[in-house]
Amino acid sequence: MSGWTQFKAILRKDLIRELRTRDMLVSMILFVLLAMIIFHYAFTVKEGADLTYFTGGMLWVTFIFAMLLGLNRSFAQEKDEHCLDGLLLCPVDRVTIFFAKTVGNLVFLLIIQAVAVPVFALFFVQRSFLGDLLPFLAVLLLADIGICSLGTLLATISMNTRSRDLLLPILLLPLLVPLLIAATGATTLVFAEGIGFGSVVARLLVLLGFDAIFLVAAWGTYDFAIGE
Amino acid sequence: MSDDKDRQDGGAPLEIEVEGLRKTFGRREVLKGISFGVPRGGFLSIFGPNGAGKTTTLRVIATLLTASGGKVQLAGHDVREDPMPVRKAIGFISHNAMLYPDLTAQENLRFYADMYGVEDREARITELLERLELSARRHDVVRTYSKGMRQRLAIARAILHRPRVLLLDEPHSGLDPRAVDILDGLLTEIRDEHTFLMVTHNIAKGLEWGTDLMIIENGRIAYEHAAGVDHETFSAVYREHVHDGSVV
Amino acid sequence: MKKLLSAPVLFAAAGILLVVGVVLAFWYSPIDASSMGFSQKIFYYHVPIAAAALVAYGVAFVAAILYLRSQDLKWDRLGYVSVRIGLLFSILVMATGMIWGKASWGVWWAWEPRLTTYLLACFLYAAYWVLRSVVDEEQRRATYAAVFAIIAFIDVPITYFATRLMPSGLHPVLSGLAGSMAVSFGICMLGMLTLMTALIKRDYEIELIKDRVTDLKTSLGG
Repeated sequence: MSGWTQFKAILRKDLIRELRTRDMLVSMILFVLLAMIIFHYAFTVKEGADLTYFTGGMLWVTFIFAMLLGLNRSFAQEKDEHCLDGLLLCPVDRVTIFFAKTVGNLVFLLIIQAVAVPVFALFFVQRSFLGDLLPFLAVLLLADIGICSLGTLLATISMNTRSRDLLLPILLLPLLVPLLIAATGATTLVFAEGIGFGSVVARLLVLLGFDAIFLVAAWGTYDFAIGE
Repeated sequence: MSDDKDRQDGGAPLEIEVEGLRKTFGRREVLKGISFGVPRGGFLSIFGPNGAGKTTTLRVIATLLTASGGKVQLAGHDVREDPMPVRKAIGFISHNAMLYPDLTAQENLRFYADMYGVEDREARITELLERLELSARRHDVVRTYSKGMRQRLAIARAILHRPRVLLLDEPHSGLDPRAVDILDGLLTEIRDEHTFLMVTHNIAKGLEWGTDLMIIENGRIAYEHAAGVDHETFSAVYREHVHDGSVV
Repeated sequence: MKKLLSAPVLFAAAGILLVVGVVLAFWYSPIDASSMGFSQKIFYYHVPIAAAALVAYGVAFVAAILYLRSQDLKWDRLGYVSVRIGLLFSILVMATGMIWGKASWGVWWAWEPRLTTYLLACFLYAAYWVLRSVVDEEQRRATYAAVFAIIAFIDVPITYFATRLMPSGLHPVLSGLAGSMAVSFGICMLGMLTLMTALIKRDYEIELIKDRVTDLKTSLGG
């Protein structure tokens, strides 16, 4: 019985559960697509308004708000059916639980992005950015890791409080600001000007630093967040 | 420590040892210094009114809560310092099934088998599903199960990894007669070679199974005795010690 | 030594230092040669307040770690009062910053790295407060607050670096300080840090006394 087996078991359980019911995925995808439509109407008051430099911002705001929905969901059921007790009774390192949950949330976010990004490009991006796909994907992945790791840690805490899902945005959004700055900047550059790897490097480094630091911090504190 | 315990085990090692257990939630002291032992192979039935601290005691032993003071040992390991071997040695059956409703019985058991590192996973799962008369529904999601079926599956979950100690939190509550029979049948089968600690409101069942009896009230042990007490006497004792009238 | 570091003494020391600092700042130090002129003087307060806010958050960070390791609630009390003081000072930073901004740039608000970092810090530590208010059980509240205090403190410098990625060049950066300015500045800085220490110490002691009262009430059957 190794940590790796347990990690896979938790991940598999969460994936099976979600893919079978698709509650969360469907809601999140619908939300994301609706948000894009709303953005269009919100920002094109002036005829022919150019949203090119708003693209990164719109995209990441949408993903972050969608993840707020998803993160709450991912813990709600553990709490409601007392399954969290069942999980904590197992001889498993609490950190393994953290990584399994984070990766699970990451997978869901990636699935949603796979659907949302092409639609977004269709609605808002004029130039073809296929040439810059690699830097774009790097930004996507690094930002996703940051959102999911901090999100998982904070969702664990907020689910155990009186306000439950109401608390998560208040805790998570201020913490994600640096990530948001870096991700939207890099994404907008890719969509608007299409520069190669070079100019997004500074932002990628911020994302990398953010991820590394907070993964370590979450690792160190998760035991306290989930226990009692 | 109690005289009863010494007289009874006459040398049998203690599987569960609780010494001076205290637990405070904020400013409220729920457990005020509890000490007792359960010998290997023993069955301790714990009674008491709601809020007395029975479930808290159980949860501390199960490593779900950390004690505020005192010492708890299970199978030779301190539950606070060394929780992993303690978790491996425990099976927990409560009135919450702790099963994932959108997974099938098989998937639920596979999950827990992997978490506990059960080696003969498939064989063990099949064996248990048969014993608990759930084989026909093994590929149905637990959401479609009746309460009795869920409880049976929960028992399978609890003994999947062959734990030495079983902690039972009001296991008979809410069960239909068939489920009660199956539970009792299973308890009889595994009675030997296992140590039990059961918290219950059901005096009949508690007396039927227990080799030792205990009443916890207001965070302290109000009464303890080896088994051999009949229902009437015990009910009288219970009423005497417990003032909220919750007698079954 | 204990007497020397007691709250009343610290308050007195802070008071003296700050008054001396003001005097020096206004009468001893020259008017700043750069375009800011007289309004630059606010810097003698603005920067020390900013530094004190960060130090207060740092104290909360250390207290959080100590709490998680020892489970001793007194560290939770220290963390809680430090965050409160830090929040107060952060608001003062923004107020003095806005006054300075209006005086030198003509605008009340600008989205530039330092101001926005402090704005975010206000929200982060306000979130700390909200978190504390929705957990009923004491140990759990202290644990969650500690975890969040650690994460929040790490986020502040990261936020600062990230905001520098955004275009903006308004905030005056202070290059070296001439002798007389350095003296006034040093005294104001020392005074502000002493004030912060005094406030934290006094609040912490009040919290500990409150705890003792509650304990007495409980043991009397309350």
